[in-house]
Amino acid sequence: MRQVISVSLNGRAYQLEDDAHAALAEYLDRASRSLAGNPDQTEILADLEQAIADKLERCLTPHKTVVVRAEVEQVIREMGPVDSGAGTGATHDGASADAAARGSGSAGTAAGAAPQSGAAASKRLYQISDGALISGVCKGIAVYMDIDVTLVRLLFVIAAVLSGGLAVLLYIAMMFIVPYAKTPEEYAAARGLPFNARVLVERAKLKAARLADVAAQAAMHNHSPEARAQWKAEWRKARAEWRQEWRRSRAHWRAYRWAGVPPSPIPSSPQPPLPPLAHLISGLIWAALGLIAVLITVAWLLALFSLITTGAVFDWMPFHLPLWASIIALVLIYQAVVWPLRAVRHGLMPRFYGYAYPWHSFWDGLLGVCLFIFVVWYFTHHGHDLRHSFESLQQSLRPAWQQFLGAWQTLVQGAH
Amino acid sequence: MSEDPKLGALRKGFLEFLVLRIVSGSTVYAADILKKLGATDFATQEGTLYPLLSRLRREGLLDYEWQESEAGPPRKYYRLTAAGRRQLAEFDAYWARLNQTIDSMGI
Repeated sequence: MRQVISVSLNGRAYQLEDDAHAALAEYLDRASRSLAGNPDQTEILADLEQAIADKLERCLTPHKTVVVRAEVEQVIREMGPVDSGAGTGATHDGASADAAARGSGSAGTAAGAAPQSGAAASKRLYQISDGALISGVCKGIAVYMDIDVTLVRLLFVIAAVLSGGLAVLLYIAMMFIVPYAKTPEEYAAARGLPFNARVLVERAKLKAARLADVAAQAAMHNHSPEARAQWKAEWRKARAEWRQEWRRSRAHWRAYRWAGVPPSPIPSSPQPPLPPLAHLISGLIWAALGLIAVLITVAWLLALFSLITTGAVFDWMPFHLPLWASIIALVLIYQAVVWPLRAVRHGLMPRFYGYAYPWHSFWDGLLGVCLFIFVVWYFTHHGHDLRHSFESLQQSLRPAWQQFLGAWQTLVQGAH
Repeated sequence: MSEDPKLGALRKGFLEFLVLRIVSGSTVYAADILKKLGATDFATQEGTLYPLLSRLRREGLLDYEWQESEAGPPRKYYRLTAAGRRQLAEFDAYWARLNQTIDSMGI
């Protein structure tokens, strides 16, 4: 009868016979030692464990649930010795390279046959307000379909022209129907990506499981207080490491949310923190600017609504522009007002999270303005159909606006 | 394997170049890279590849994002950054020059 030890590799449990477990623990220990001093040590170890898990998966069937030593040794041979990663090249000898050729081939099929993991990230359509021109519908679609936002906008403008303004109505409808992505989870879902933190939590679990293994071994072999103290120190160190990585990842997701930076580069060396007072002040400014931006957006939406329904912005019309031109003017004014606010807010972000404000947002905005200029030019020359559809929209929305005005007046009177 | 160890030493430095090339084609995950290399003289093992990928990422040549896989846990998919593309172009130019030099010598 043999003893079986359970281990967790990247969040999945595997049962190993005791000598198989010893071989695996030794390999990981050696890997960890040869990666000592490598800033990505934990990450590389997690990757290696994932690869081992993929390979172990093919040794298991419904009727064979335990991994034996020979299988672990085979897997370790396929994995090869772990480089320190500090050098500039690869080191391997011909024999192990041959083993790798066989190993990686079968690893692919093993991964294909592995059972479905319980938590697949689902993809949802969201509006994304970062780097948005109006409301973020195009940006959301672009993220959802994984194409460039400029392309979506271009297609949208073409669709608007061809459909005689129907696409504009569709945009307005989507503005109200499609939800905004607000949390990091929603941002991840907008891209169909798994939320990073879940991956992190799984890795944290694995780390804890490994340390528990080490502890169990230590208890078996050695009852000395020094061994316990050493284990405790190791545990504390690991916990601190995880906290740090977790914080970095969270900050990174925030940066992603606000600046639209793709989720890959987790900043490894954050900037030195601000003194507390400066931190507080910039935080307050940041929050105040956010509030102002929200108020401006609400006012803008109301102005737009009133313009469409009554043909004047809150009964005020300085120039006698046609309706379509005043709508575009309103959009441009909104952009001009909100743009510096956004820029300042983004500019404050790196002070918090060690992230530089990316230039691509600037080009995004510039390109958007060019697009609008094109639209204005186009409708000046060929805008008849659009005007017709706006006029019919105006007719149908006017009662709703009057109802809103009535409700507002009742509310104001009620307050007095 | 009866191979001249000199050739093995010659291959060493090229792995980075090859990995950048593979990643430049499309976003791939580590097992794809191993499979591609496996069929060639540059067959590599995880123990070598993962530290290399991590170093390339630290140098800003590569980037990865987590993607859900149909089977098993999410995987890291790698792609080239702008700096990686520049580095690869340099490699390519150097490789062409090297070839020319070798061809023009002797015989």
